Amino acid sequence: MKTKRYFNRELSWLEFNARVLDEALDSGTPLLERLKFLAITSSNFDEFFMVRVASLKARIASGDLEPEPSGLAPAEILAAVAKRAKEIVRRQYDCLLGEILPALEREGLAVVRPSTWTAAERRKLEDHFADLVAPLLTPLRVESPPEPGASASDGLPGKSAAGDVFPGSEVGLSDAPRPLDLEGPDASGKNALAAHDIPSIGNLRIHAAFLLRPEQRSAPRGTSADRGADRGAGRDADAAKSDRLAVVQVPPNLDRFIRIPTDAPGLRIALLDDLIAAFGQRLFPGYAVVERLLFKVTRDADIGVDEDREDDFIAAMEEVLVGRQNSWPVRLTVSADSERLAERLMRLLGLGIDDVYTLPGPIDLRTFMELASNEGIAAIPGGERLRYQPWPPIQVFEPAEDSTIWDEIRSGDRLLHVPYESFDPVVRFLEAAADDPAVLAIKMTLYRTSGNSPVVRALTRAARNGKQVAVLVELKARFDEERNIAWASRLEQAGAIVVYGLARLKVHAKAALVVRREDNGSIRRYLHLSTGNYNDRTARLYSDLSLFTANEDLCRDASVFFNMITGYSTVQELRFLAVAPFDLKSRLLGMIAREAQRSSPESPGLLMFKMNALVDADTIDALYRANAAGVRVLLNVRGVCVLVPGVKGLSENIRVVSVLGRYLEHSRVFYFRNGGAEEMYLSSADLMPRNLEKRIELLFPILDETLRERVHEILAAYFMDSAGAHSLARDGKWKRVEPAEGEKAYSSQADFYSVVKRRRALLEEPPERELPVRRRPS
Amino acid sequence: MSEPASKTPLAVIEIGSTGIRLIVAEVNGTGGFSILDRAGKPSRIGRDVFTNGYVSRDATRESIAVLLSFRELLRGYGISPRAARVIATSALREAANRDTFVDRVSLQTGFHVSVIEDLEENHLMYLAVQHALQDERSILSRSNAMILEVGGGSTEIMLLKRGRMAGSHSLGIGTVRVDEFVRSSGAAPGSLRQFLEDNVRTACDLLEEELPLDSVKTFIVIGADARLAASRIEAQRFDQYAIVAREAFSRFAEEAAALSPEDCVAKLRVPWSEAESLGPGLAIERLFLERTGAEEVVVPNVSIREGLLLAEARGPDPEHEAEMTRQVAASAAALGRKFHYDEDHARHVADLALALFDGLAAEHGLGGRERLLLEASAILHDVGSFIRASGHHKHSEYIISNSEIFGLSRGELTVVANVARYHRKTPPAGSHLNFIALPREDRIVVQKLAAILRVADALDRGHDRRVRGIALERREDRLIIRAEGSKDLSLERLSLAEKSDLFEDVFGLEASLS
Repeated sequence: MKTKRYFNRELSWLEFNARVLDEALDSGTPLLERLKFLAITSSNFDEFFMVRVASLKARIASGDLEPEPSGLAPAEILAAVAKRAKEIVRRQYDCLLGEILPALEREGLAVVRPSTWTAAERRKLEDHFADLVAPLLTPLRVESPPEPGASASDGLPGKSAAGDVFPGSEVGLSDAPRPLDLEGPDASGKNALAAHDIPSIGNLRIHAAFLLRPEQRSAPRGTSADRGADRGAGRDADAAKSDRLAVVQVPPNLDRFIRIPTDAPGLRIALLDDLIAAFGQRLFPGYAVVERLLFKVTRDADIGVDEDREDDFIAAMEEVLVGRQNSWPVRLTVSADSERLAERLMRLLGLGIDDVYTLPGPIDLRTFMELASNEGIAAIPGGERLRYQPWPPIQVFEPAEDSTIWDEIRSGDRLLHVPYESFDPVVRFLEAAADDPAVLAIKMTLYRTSGNSPVVRALTRAARNGKQVAVLVELKARFDEERNIAWASRLEQAGAIVVYGLARLKVHAKAALVVRREDNGSIRRYLHLSTGNYNDRTARLYSDLSLFTANEDLCRDASVFFNMITGYSTVQELRFLAVAPFDLKSRLLGMIAREAQRSSPESPGLLMFKMNALVDADTIDALYRANAAGVRVLLNVRGVCVLVPGVKGLSENIRVVSVLGRYLEHSRVFYFRNGGAEEMYLSSADLMPRNLEKRIELLFPILDETLRERVHEILAAYFMDSAGAHSLARDGKWKRVEPAEGEKAYSSQADFYSVVKRRRALLEEPPERELPVRRRPS
Repeated sequence: MSEPASKTPLAVIEIGSTGIRLIVAEVNGTGGFSILDRAGKPSRIGRDVFTNGYVSRDATRESIAVLLSFRELLRGYGISPRAARVIATSALREAANRDTFVDRVSLQTGFHVSVIEDLEENHLMYLAVQHALQDERSILSRSNAMILEVGGGSTEIMLLKRGRMAGSHSLGIGTVRVDEFVRSSGAAPGSLRQFLEDNVRTACDLLEEELPLDSVKTFIVIGADARLAASRIEAQRFDQYAIVAREAFSRFAEEAAALSPEDCVAKLRVPWSEAESLGPGLAIERLFLERTGAEEVVVPNVSIREGLLLAEARGPDPEHEAEMTRQVAASAAALGRKFHYDEDHARHVADLALALFDGLAAEHGLGGRERLLLEASAILHDVGSFIRASGHHKHSEYIISNSEIFGLSRGELTVVANVARYHRKTPPAGSHLNFIALPREDRIVVQKLAAILRVADALDRGHDRRVRGIALERREDRLIIRAEGSKDLSLERLSLAEKSDLFEDVFGLEASLS
């Protein structure tokens, strides 16, 4: 068999999500963490479909049938994706229903579905629904294409004015907004809506669908009678033809998890969407609910802003956000309650059977994250033991009492390893800059951060204190745009110079530069360069490396870099920093080629890279060439990896692992043995064409030898991991890395934390015992 | 820290024909500096001026926008626009509306723009090159060298003979002009090549008279085009400069010339702003290179901005001033040689004149700059004899005012020409147009320097250096010049009586020789 040169990117991504799921399947993982991994698997899928699958479909729609480097044509990929994704989803729900939910129930947290509600519970929930939920609901009647076998003409008898359709007043909905009638053909006979789609069904929002049939006689509106009508009525074909489809959105602003009052120990929780499906018939007086279903539509989110609209980029961005709610559908997720409804929705949305995911349990596991975090803890006595043992972030970089953060950074470069170490030094760096009268200016990139973050607060204060604050805010950070617009305006009002990104390039680099006039009048700069965003929240979950330095060369380059991205300057070549999309890729390729050149049988080269994704074909080809020159290549790729390792004559010297764990591995590290003159770089960039060609990214060297060794240790640890690591085989399958016979599993993440703890302990040694210890400049 | 207290960083901005560029630097007490920051934006001033003769409204507006953003950048270093040094080079120099431009910039941005002259540009460039190569002094002194910078509107050339300035020129050929030529003539690419070759050949033929170009072993090119070439091809890289092999440079230049600006951007990863000039710039540089005997091309990582920074940073530095004086004198001597002057006489008169100048410090009240002008005038006073002995002072004036002397501005060159003009015969008069065209201060300087030069020239009347040296003695309103050397000074006395008239008028002293 001819071996491939590259794996397919989408299929490789699916394997990544399967590895995430693997963490949930691992019985060694604490119960609530397992639930969390199930939730992450789902939210990963959402993003994947919104972006990758959507763009695949767009390619097919545009007639692009070219096979991609893996040799697969778009349609083949799509089919393979559906097959594999469904397998993964099946495993996910098997785990949820077979293991996690029962185990949670044993721990005193029961998620109860309608079939297991007791009669008393049912009554309480129905009251809850009538009092608190129904007033917020807005049923939509949807024109549906005739079902197979039914002719178009007899599909919709009795079409009437909107008010007649679901007279809400009869069910006490007089205050509710008037039901919106979405029937297609209007009075003039024009089809107002495209046949394929229901635009008002927002992206990723949970909805309930009902199949309604006008009641022949005035039926009592009691619950049981309705249920009877629903279940038992002997329907004839005519009745079925007149069935109508109605849709109700589950209000996103209500809690999904509803505690059922109970005297028994433990907690019983019902799902809001279950309530709406179960009691929704109250919204449709005069109709019987024939079938019901919960569903969620995933839409194309890969729509970009019109980059050439320079007049008001913020306005354009806001339009994109609205657009994302209505863009075309790519996936339909349904509960297993009604094949007929699923089928109708599928046709309405213009989707195929491959795009429909029928789930045997609650849909949208994303929100179960909440349950795993807070609710779960509250509910379960001693719930902490169902979670990872906490590793509170530790502060190692802390200026001594008689010195300032500036003195500390000037005395030597500092490395920060979050979330093992606390993110605080970054915040303090900015706060000190905001309050120090000697500081003249702060320049910074902000990609994903929260509005209430201490970072933004410090910058705002600095601007108010009269510092020059120049911030490049990347509005285009996907899914964060809305939040970004809000706090960016606040910063601007405080007097900061805010640059709202660059046309056609996303600014993904993470850098902060402080310009300070020292006591002797000279200018000194302090720089922070990072692999992770300036976001104090993700800094508790994402594993990132960052550097504090006052190195003049790096600071000068950083100044020029900021001039480039804030519009003061055209692109200039820098000496120590490499910038995508200008020279980052060529420098990386150059350094890989150098490694190959310098490699000899006596002294083989060594490359160790860590990143989130490896997709760029040029880089992969360079690595294959290095392989041919005998260079040993160790890659730690958390997510997508389309490089094929371990193939004789292509990649036998290349090993790929992927490490997952409690923290999301986010740092990008590049190590070159370089014939003994080792070089170590950190970067904001993954090796994807997107990062290397369409984004502003930074690659920066670790010049301090001690720090270089430390990064080296961190990097090397991943390749010894036998607790959260998978290793990639040449057939594209990932296998868990098991500890060697008779050895204990080694967790790199656990090791990083203990290293940080040791470094902190060294700091705290009482002075007299410090003598033999020798503080290392960390 | 032991550095001297309170030093505000310096900002230098250059408004050039293709871009507006900035550097911020800190001076380190010893006359050097370290760069803190740089920025640059493209400008179309050159294109406007070289086609229409003036800066368009749009270009003015764009320039102001760039300067406003630089003002913002400088605020981050606590530098006010007034404190920044802003210079404009050839493009603005030639613009009909340069004063309006300077005024609008000043009103709207607070930056004060000084338009510098081409010769001053050379001076600053030399400073920058010297600084970049300072660790490797021998590069400049061990052999003959050519320093070349191809700009948008002009090409600056300096020739150094074993470290001494042998010629300094500003040619009216630049990348933007060349591009305009191609556009306006709708010429085929081949004719551009011909155009450049003709221009460079003519220029080189002139340079040959100052220095045989195949004796030039060190070829130094400044500018973004050459820097880009050096960064894209095999080079020995040093901190402040790179060295590229001649063939490699030529090959890259040929390749770049064959690329469209679009291809430059795509294939060479050149910013748009630089892509248009890359081909023609390198082509001109290659043509010069091929006329020299250099095996390597030295590409310093500096520009005129670093030169300006050095000039600012150094202020009056005796050692540096002395070096510049030597280079000015060397450049004047090179001009003299071109016109087959009597080198010994010229040098001797210069030395005598300087001795007089130094002895009369209290009387003339002039400074080092004027001393330099006197030296240049003395070296070149007889240069007009090349044309004809009769009326040679007028020919000297003509030659000097139409030549270039390294380190002297156009205004200074005019002073030198006038001083040479009055080294004999009629003293300055109200009917002499070239004299009355001078600013008042310069007229006084010319009178004083010419007075001294006439006396010095008289002392070597026989062109035989019989007066080897002099000592001065003041007696009331008499100046007694005591000559060292030969006792028979009758010829010189005679000559002095004839030529000291101006000296008596200007200084109120009667000069006599004993």
